[in-house]
Amino acid sequence: MDARQPILFVDHLSKAFGSAIAPILKGVTFRQEPGQFVAVVGPSGCGKTTLLRCIASLMQPDEGAVLHYGRRFGDPPEWLSIVFQDYNRSLFPWLSVSKNVAFGLRELDKDEKAERVNQALRAVGLEHASDLYPWQLSGGMQQRCALARSIVAQPKLLLLDEPFASVDAQTRIDLQDMVMDICQRMSLSTLLVTHDIEEAVFMADKVVVLSTRPAHVVEEIAVDLPRPRDQLTTKETPEFLRLRHRVYMLVRQQVQKITLEHLPEKV
Amino acid sequence: MIPNRAHIAPFAWQIGVTAGLLVLWQWVAVMHPAPYLPPLQNIALGYFRLLHGDLFWSAIVPSLYRLAVAFLAAVLLGSLAGIAIGSLRALEPWVRPVFEYLRFIPAVAILPASLLLFGATDKMRIFVIAFGSIFPVLLAAIDGARRVEPMLLDVARVNRLKVPKLLFCVVLPAALPSIFAGVRIALSIALVMMVISELIAADDGLGFYILRNQRLFLTANVYAGVLVIGTIGFGLTFALLSLEKRVLAWHRGWRGLLDPKGA
Amino acid sequence: MLNPSQLFVRSLSGALIFQHPNPQRSMSNKLTVLTPGLVNALKRLAGIALALACWEAIRGLDLVDPRDLPSFAAIFRSAMVGLAGGELAAALLATLGSWAPGLLVAAVAGVAVGTALAMLPRLELATRPLIEFLRPIPSVALIPVALLVFGIGLQMQLFMIAFASIWPVLFSTKTGVEGIDPRFLETGRVLHLSRSARLFRIVLPNALPLIATGLRTASAIALVVAITVEMLTGGAGVGFYIENVRVNGLITEMWAAIFATGVLGYLINALFMTIERVALPWSPENHDS
Repeated sequence: MDARQPILFVDHLSKAFGSAIAPILKGVTFRQEPGQFVAVVGPSGCGKTTLLRCIASLMQPDEGAVLHYGRRFGDPPEWLSIVFQDYNRSLFPWLSVSKNVAFGLRELDKDEKAERVNQALRAVGLEHASDLYPWQLSGGMQQRCALARSIVAQPKLLLLDEPFASVDAQTRIDLQDMVMDICQRMSLSTLLVTHDIEEAVFMADKVVVLSTRPAHVVEEIAVDLPRPRDQLTTKETPEFLRLRHRVYMLVRQQVQKITLEHLPEKV
Repeated sequence: MIPNRAHIAPFAWQIGVTAGLLVLWQWVAVMHPAPYLPPLQNIALGYFRLLHGDLFWSAIVPSLYRLAVAFLAAVLLGSLAGIAIGSLRALEPWVRPVFEYLRFIPAVAILPASLLLFGATDKMRIFVIAFGSIFPVLLAAIDGARRVEPMLLDVARVNRLKVPKLLFCVVLPAALPSIFAGVRIALSIALVMMVISELIAADDGLGFYILRNQRLFLTANVYAGVLVIGTIGFGLTFALLSLEKRVLAWHRGWRGLLDPKGA
Repeated sequence: MLNPSQLFVRSLSGALIFQHPNPQRSMSNKLTVLTPGLVNALKRLAGIALALACWEAIRGLDLVDPRDLPSFAAIFRSAMVGLAGGELAAALLATLGSWAPGLLVAAVAGVAVGTALAMLPRLELATRPLIEFLRPIPSVALIPVALLVFGIGLQMQLFMIAFASIWPVLFSTKTGVEGIDPRFLETGRVLHLSRSARLFRIVLPNALPLIATGLRTASAIALVVAITVEMLTGGAGVGFYIENVRVNGLITEMWAAIFATGVLGYLINALFMTIERVALPWSPENHDS
């Protein structure tokens, strides 16, 4: 694999569903360099999740391509991991926490597997819950379990589909810090899809703003805030506020476009 | 600790009524003997005679053997085939009408055909029992496999699971609650078919035993045989429920979590 | 870069196995005649044709005496002849002639007893040991007992059908009545309905979906028991007919009768499902997917 190429290159990606008149995605294009944290934001329903599924090779685009290091992949590459929003639908209810996490590992011997699982559990703070079952965990703990499962195989690219949308505000803050810390220590490239603008600016190196349907990239905004970032101090800096304002304006323009335009007859 | 009055009363009520019925039976059996109302001690005697010795080997063992082989075959075949069919979405409309018809053939109607093809052998009886009990399991497995949470399949795909691993490690556990529901029904059907096959076309087994004793008017033995069949039914159902409780412990917790949310 | 065979395998596995709820379809126009509904119906017919082909294939394999497995055409012909006023039709009608009254008795008694047990806790308690004792006994095991009491005849057959079919109705009625939302009952009290009015206008209608399901189960059990008794004791009815023709070597007629009995079982179930759907459109089973 050519390491000079971006780890992710979304090249004029388009996708429509069945007989829908308007495609969901049209000509989405952006790059992600290795080690970069990219956040994708846009109005609700603009197709962010669809985009992520295409990037994860769970779906094939109608036009355009998803390239990793300059190559197409048919199945999800093994160094790619994904964390879904609905943790209570993505954890296997019949497996304990440690077995769920171990699911991300395949051909390793028992001891090495156990060591990797423990490492991952410690990274997310669940080392005491290894024998519990998902239904015995709170929402935040379940999401941490899902996160542990996605990092246990030491991926290069981590995809996050609105991972904090279903947890309460306090847990969300803790999880944001945890994810940033893990991505930093493991030198991961991270792609975060979110509707929370503040979260996007706070966590990312680059924010990609999508338009309404058919979605394309409106603007890519570089976020040069210093790391490590702090929930209190970073969010008070003028640069953060400026960036947040800019992203918010862009998204709001898109939302206003929906209310002003005539709604399509067939959705 | 003195037991609470409120706890004793219902218990006493149940025991009292049951005892009363037994006393009534015994009184009628002794005072006004009728061919179909034997005294209780004869029934008890017959019951215990069945549990050991010659009768045990000629009545109970053949029945249990045929039941076990047929039921296990039906469960294994039904669940594996059902999972495979339920997972291959394209296949489902092909096989559905055939299964929807076959499941409504009263299994007893198959018995003469089975007799014709296999003769008066154990194979014949096992076939009849299995035919009757496979469909609840098969259809439950198809349904369970179809309803696997799509997100779990996505997780498996992202982890690049190969198809056999996918079926065994994701689809099968996810479909297991549904399969168990089908297995419970299949067990009661299997018991019924076991008895039917032995009433109509057997020369050993419990069904044959009770029919033969009826023809000889040895009524106490008939009741004893019925009680043994009931005991087997009770024991097997209890065993199945205990197994289900252990294997599906995660499911009860999971469901308990979802229900309060109004899912 | 993916080579064609890799693409093929990937699309095959993706399309065949676990088609995602939003199937991947191109934006180009498809042949609009081939609607999903039509394709599905064709697949169903193809499946039936395939099953018949399997039957013929098994015949050809020579595993059993070929006279024991007639061609499907012959079976179908025999069934048509038998049903058009032949012996088969008479046998099926005879079976229905004991199935229907037995089921009716079971339905009425099952609803009555189930309701009583749900509403009179003392009664439920008193009879609980008896019921839990009888529950694990397959009803067919009591056929010899019924023979002792009633001898051979219609009375015995009716008793067995009713006894076997009462249980599903009883238990589903009991569950349905017990499970009534207390707020419905309170509404009845607030509207000054008498106790019996509350029973017939609130409790029972609320329990109807469950009762209907129990009745459908009972109808299948009744058919099995009816046929079993006929096979065992003779008399009119398709159970005796199937065994009789087998013994007399009329194999095609035997298979035709089995096939027709299956159709009968299917129709009975379809009948009850249709009644449920028409009479209980408000039931949750009939409108949620």
